[in-house]
Amino acid sequence: MVTMGIGKAPRNSAVLPFYGAGTIFFLILTILMFIAADSFKEHFFHPHTLALVHTAALGWGTMIIFGAAYQLMPVIFEEELFSSKMAFISFWFLLIGSIILIASFWFFEVGLFMITGGSAILIAVILYNFNVFKTAVKSILTIQKLFLMASALWLFITVTVGLLLAINLYYPYIPTNHLEILKLHAHIGFAGWFLQLITGVSSKLVPMFLFGKSDKIRLLKIAFVFQNTGLIAFLLDDFFIGASDRVFIYYVLILIGILFWLAYLKDAYKKRLKKKVDIQMRHALISMVSLIIALILIPVVLMVSGNQWSVLYGTFIFLGWISAIIFGKTFKTLPFIIWNMHYKDVHGKKNMPLPRDLYIEKLLFYQFWCFVAALGVLILGILIEEIIIIKIGLLIWIVVALLYVFNVAKVFLHKKII
Amino acid sequence: MELQINDPFFQEKNKAMDSLYNVLDPELMVNIMDLGLVYDVDFSLEGKIIITMTLTTPGCPMGDAISLGVRNVLNEDFPDREVDINIVWEPQWTVEEVSAAGREQLGF
Repeated sequence: MVTMGIGKAPRNSAVLPFYGAGTIFFLILTILMFIAADSFKEHFFHPHTLALVHTAALGWGTMIIFGAAYQLMPVIFEEELFSSKMAFISFWFLLIGSIILIASFWFFEVGLFMITGGSAILIAVILYNFNVFKTAVKSILTIQKLFLMASALWLFITVTVGLLLAINLYYPYIPTNHLEILKLHAHIGFAGWFLQLITGVSSKLVPMFLFGKSDKIRLLKIAFVFQNTGLIAFLLDDFFIGASDRVFIYYVLILIGILFWLAYLKDAYKKRLKKKVDIQMRHALISMVSLIIALILIPVVLMVSGNQWSVLYGTFIFLGWISAIIFGKTFKTLPFIIWNMHYKDVHGKKNMPLPRDLYIEKLLFYQFWCFVAALGVLILGILIEEIIIIKIGLLIWIVVALLYVFNVAKVFLHKKII
Repeated sequence: MELQINDPFFQEKNKAMDSLYNVLDPELMVNIMDLGLVYDVDFSLEGKIIITMTLTTPGCPMGDAISLGVRNVLNEDFPDREVDINIVWEPQWTVEEVSAAGREQLGF
């Protein structure tokens, strides 16, 4: 008999479809970016740019993060996932909703088509929230858990505002400027959903992977207060009073929140026993550097004219910060899930492969350097507004996607050998 | 976990511990003995082996696989005994439990 307390992984159907679909969306994203290379020189409110941003945010970022969150919730909450079935249903809503929404932006089909896509995504997010909160109520409250719950709520608000904007495009009823609400929608997504989810998950996993336990939990508590106070104050002020220079105050509050979180990670990194930083953790370092550059760019976006600054900001957020963390985490989670599926029952037998044998580590190494080159060249192209350089950068992005797809497919298609 | 030479089940325990060296933590790629995850191996009840062990973190998704690994290797070496596995969280596992060989494999 095995007693209580062992982490029961959720059913594979609650996790693997998200990884599969997210990986294909990433390949589609890089191809669409290449086709729409000109949009990297234009204003962000452009059909192709909106389609690209939603492919990155929903099809790629949120899709993989949902899968990873369902897998990691038992680790963070120390409780079994409330419902694997509900997670699987949320996958279909997120998949169908993302496809419809991205297509409707690309062809700029406002109306029922776009609203249907937004509604499907909202249903997926409601199901996700239900699973998060039903799993959370069973265990004691920790700061990581608080971040995960807050991020789920912020995602709900982001998607609700997004749906209201989609309706507004067809049937204008919002008295405020559409673009102002669009900025709020984007920043609830960045600072609410992505930032708080990544803060919570990384503050649990990074110390675990590095064997670098930090006891400075208060840093995370302060981070939580500042990130949320800054975001709430920004939203209320901008919505009810209007855009003003006070945005810098809220920016500084969120920045302080981020710095406290990074200070916690730095403490764990300093105290790490595992001196060698593997390729997955190197991705995490690039991710953090991208986030810091994106944060530095915010005052530039606000004060300096030119489309390239907001495009650069979005590039660092989606292709630097979020993509890098996903690249690293994919190979810290997916091989283990597939390994568990094939070898859990025969564990202990000789000549059994290990999770790391399920993918080609060398390919991940090449992918890492291609990713650094792709990001660097694309940023240069955006900065100097040179379409040829942008296209070269985007071609390298396609190579990055192909390497990633190949390695993920290798893990998925692994055949049990004993 | 230490084994005393005057232990009445010295031979059985020695054999069981040898087998448990074949069970790896799939994430860390180090066996559970060198990680210090096994706290006790008990043969005192007839027809049973009671393993008291822990995991590196509560809620670890690999926990199920590790306990199945323990069961598999012990079932093979002791087919006439039923294996009971008690997962405990006290004392809490820390890196101090890792043996010198384990530390070397982990790159500490």
